[in-house]
Amino acid sequence: MRDLMWPVASLVGTTILYYLCKGHYKRTRQFWCTPLLAAPVIVVALVVVLHIPLPAYFEYTHWLVALLGPATIAFALPIYRQRHMIARYPLTIIAGVVTGLILGLVSNWGYARLFHIPGDIALSLLPRSVSTPFAIQVSAKLGGMPDVTALMVVLTGVIGMLVCEPVYRVTRVKSAHARGAGLGSASHGAGTAKAHELGAQEGVIASLTMIFTGISMVLVAPLLSRLFM
Amino acid sequence: MKFINLLYTVAQVALISALLWICNLVVAHLGLPVPGSVLGLGILALLLISGAIPEKWIAIGAAWLMADMLLFFIPPVVAVLKYRTLLAPCGLGLIAILIIGTATVMIGTAWVVDRVFVLEHRRYQEKENA
Repeated sequence: MRDLMWPVASLVGTTILYYLCKGHYKRTRQFWCTPLLAAPVIVVALVVVLHIPLPAYFEYTHWLVALLGPATIAFALPIYRQRHMIARYPLTIIAGVVTGLILGLVSNWGYARLFHIPGDIALSLLPRSVSTPFAIQVSAKLGGMPDVTALMVVLTGVIGMLVCEPVYRVTRVKSAHARGAGLGSASHGAGTAKAHELGAQEGVIASLTMIFTGISMVLVAPLLSRLFM
Repeated sequence: MKFINLLYTVAQVALISALLWICNLVVAHLGLPVPGSVLGLGILALLLISGAIPEKWIAIGAAWLMADMLLFFIPPVVAVLKYRTLLAPCGLGLIAILIIGTATVMIGTAWVVDRVFVLEHRRYQEKENA
């Protein structure tokens, strides 16, 4: 009986905390309450403070992680709904995806070398600008640590939301399509949510750029793994 | 009404999970270089676009999976506790990379798309007017 206490409490607690954070953020819109940041921070703090053994924490919560697979498939819905946008501006979307993909890989690798980051952590950094379900797949394929990648993806999302407005002001990016593509390719789901706040056009382009960048990164991962290993 | 929505969500997520399960089998069997989830994404997009299955079969479940995706990656973030001794020494460097790298990708992509969009939009309007 005692053996089941932490696993059940972990699953129920993580889920309830997430929905509490989400509800609170919806009401207050305070940045630090975003479930992207607040929920993981509170859960990690509880695990540490309560001395919950990690294997017990993961015993049932790994079912939550398993839902990332179906969540990947769910991206078919926005592709279907925005098919006319894709047909109208294919080059715009391809340009965003290709630039984001190459810049993401090259800049992460370059900066990791510059800051003397050890190899396995650097590999975990490479796919961080794409959405988590894609990033975790790519990280495993490249020989990185998928858990570390998940953390980097979360932090990238938070940073993208924070820096986008000053960055776009300084660089004078005006068109909705460019703002959306930048957010979608640099900071995946969080960037897409932010893009929806900037405008409807921004949001649509951001979500399409995010999805196709994720898919392309998974597709080129086998090639990359040969390059880096 | 809320309870009905919950039922729809569970049933549709189950349907999408079944597609994932089949795709994983296919990938393992044929030794394809793509994960089952990405194959499933492609297949579902084709099924929807060709009209083989109506949007309402999966719309509620898919919307929930996307809207609450954050919940699914809380456990991997907790797992990083296992790596704290490994990550701690390069913490500052990592934060610097995350900020500079994110800005690099954002600026670069926005710059390129700004230019390509102008060209493509002009081309589209010419086609409309022709």
